[in-house]
Amino acid sequence: MKKLKGLKIDFISSSILDKKTKQKRINFILNKVKDGSILITDGVLNYAEEMDLIKETMRKVDNGFPGIEVCGLKKPTKGLNSMVERFTDQKEKIQNFFSALRGRKIEKTSLKNGLTLIGPAKVIREIKKNPNSFSVLTEV
Amino acid sequence: MFNRLFDWLLGLFGARRQIKLGVYGATNVGKTTLANRISLDWAGEKIGKTSLIPHETRFVQKKERVEIKLNRKKILINLLDMPGIATKVDYRTFRKHGLSRKSAKKRAREATDGVVEAIKWLDNVDTVLAVMDSTQNPLNQINITLLGNLEARKIPVIIVANKIDLKKAKPKAIKEAFPQHPIIGVSALKGKNMDELYDAIGKYSRRAG
Repeated sequence: MKKLKGLKIDFISSSILDKKTKQKRINFILNKVKDGSILITDGVLNYAEEMDLIKETMRKVDNGFPGIEVCGLKKPTKGLNSMVERFTDQKEKIQNFFSALRGRKIEKTSLKNGLTLIGPAKVIREIKKNPNSFSVLTEV
Repeated sequence: MFNRLFDWLLGLFGARRQIKLGVYGATNVGKTTLANRISLDWAGEKIGKTSLIPHETRFVQKKERVEIKLNRKKILINLLDMPGIATKVDYRTFRKHGLSRKSAKKRAREATDGVVEAIKWLDNVDTVLAVMDSTQNPLNQINITLLGNLEARKIPVIIVANKIDLKKAKPKAIKEAFPQHPIIGVSALKGKNMDELYDAIGKYSRRAG
């Protein structure tokens, strides 16, 4: 059967990414994107993890893979939700600290509420971002 | 907390600690032009070479013990000009600027290493000048991720809205995008508004003596 050429978009539930440790999550994302897929998920990485994603991407850049384009829209949190988010962050920090003390380097962080698009820079020509929306221009 | 105590003790004995001032931002926003301007103003010499080709700065460039004199105090800084942070580095971009295939690939390799190096340095800087090109939309992921990381690490940050001498410049758009941070509009190339930036460094820097 003839293989169809086109743009592949993977919509991935945040629950799948949430189950993974930080390193496994980054590897999962980069493997998908390196294969040419655009990944969309209903969650947002935290800023430190996003920086790690950039760092890991740079280590994987080669002649065929120039890198990624990424854009996230975080759902603004106010009042009680904001407090719950901060509490969860602190809880995860403490859990990761005790994991490290026990010699286990397993870092787990949950995704924040929002939307993220990550795709190969070879395919995505431009992302235009506004405070509450973004549009993506791709090569077809 | 220990740093603050250490600084207080240093202050008691009249000594001043040097501030590691990191110049961060995306590529081609004018980081090295700004670092050169600061270095020229206070140390009399440039810190690095500038170019229209992206990723001209591929290694961390340092100028140590630069003394900035303000009205009431002096600040001693180690100026750190960082490679531009990027999510992509394509050697073909450099080819368009006339580089040979071999040179372009070498530049790309060095550029990716430079990005990793700049990110690692985030653990070691005391204050950051986050440089943005005021002719561009500030809401790009590099700016957002950089500022988010600095906030999470509680590193003082001053946003430098660069290139205000250009007609297309909209420093107001940067103010609207990031209202939670101090923003100073400058033209590093023309040396415009630099005094306001030096005052801000004195005001917002961690460990200013």
